[in-house]
Amino acid sequence: MIRVAAVGDIHVGADTAGRYRRHVTGLAGHADVLLVAGDLTRHGTVEEGRVAVEELKDAPVPVIAVLGNHDHHSDAQDEIAAMLRDAGIIVLEGDGAIVDCDGVRLGVAGGKGFGGGFPGRSAGEFGERVMKEFVRETRSFSERLRQALTEVNEAGADVTIALTHYSPIKETLAGEPLEIYPFLGSYLMAEAIDEAGADLAVHGHAHLGSEKGVTSAGTRVRNVALPVLGQAYAVYCLEPAATRA
Amino acid sequence: MTRTEDVPHYLVEHIRARVAEEAHELGVQVDVREGKVYLRGRVMSSERRRDVEEAARAAAHGHPVCNEVSVVSSREPDEGEQERLS
Ligand SMILES: [Fe+2]
Ligand SMILES: [Fe+2]
Repeated sequence: MIRVAAVGDIHVGADTAGRYRRHVTGLAGHADVLLVAGDLTRHGTVEEGRVAVEELKDAPVPVIAVLGNHDHHSDAQDEIAAMLRDAGIIVLEGDGAIVDCDGVRLGVAGGKGFGGGFPGRSAGEFGERVMKEFVRETRSFSERLRQALTEVNEAGADVTIALTHYSPIKETLAGEPLEIYPFLGSYLMAEAIDEAGADLAVHGHAHLGSEKGVTSAGTRVRNVALPVLGQAYAVYCLEPAATRA
Repeated sequence: MTRTEDVPHYLVEHIRARVAEEAHELGVQVDVREGKVYLRGRVMSSERRRDVEEAARAAAHGHPVCNEVSVVSSREPDEGEQERLS
């Protein structure tokens, strides 16, 4: 069994520096890995990126993160990702990684992801250039996600998790206004996850959403945005190869 | 000509924009009822709760602001709160 701690949307800033750190250092004995589902910062500045690194760098377990839309706000996402990597944190951007957790090989594939909406109500690749670019962004990410999940599965991961910032399903958005669903996620990511196969999909971004949902093909989805959890992180226990068909 | 700040729908969006720009909180719900502005949502600290209120007041054109935003707890889960997925 592997214990996966997960949280998103910690949104650190100079005003909260040092506050999240104690939860991270306290993970020893409670979890085997920490997944961070994006929006580590408020405005995506390098200074805030530095705060995020300080909060996460002394984790007693491997830390795997994706960035969120807030981490892109100041156009410093590459620098933030590099700083996190320098501190030993794995940052996924449409790729995957396998970490050894006490003998269990955990495969995680993911990235920020993007919006577009959900079946029957989703944006199409049509019309103005910016509209097509919007949809293409999600489409190309979802294709990379599918490939990365397939790769970690083929590499023999015992447990596979998809980690994104945006949501692959709408169930975990329940509580958010319907009007903004297309900006909160896209079913294209769920389709990729279902097609490649994963034991769990973890995302953040929807602060007013709900924790638990499931994709159309039965992959469990968890929204781990800190305001949704109402606690420092969630812990999910998974049996190796237990849920994948 | 209409003063858009007197139209609740426009006022709501002016306040939401100000809260996003100045307090950098995107998830705050703003409602105007009977001339009164209600703020709801969840933020990470009491300082940010205050920032949201300040930004809202600055855009509220004198309408009273009722701050119902709550601060997220970040207590640690205990063993019984772990979820087993099988
Ligand atoms: Fe967020
Ligand atoms: Fe976000």
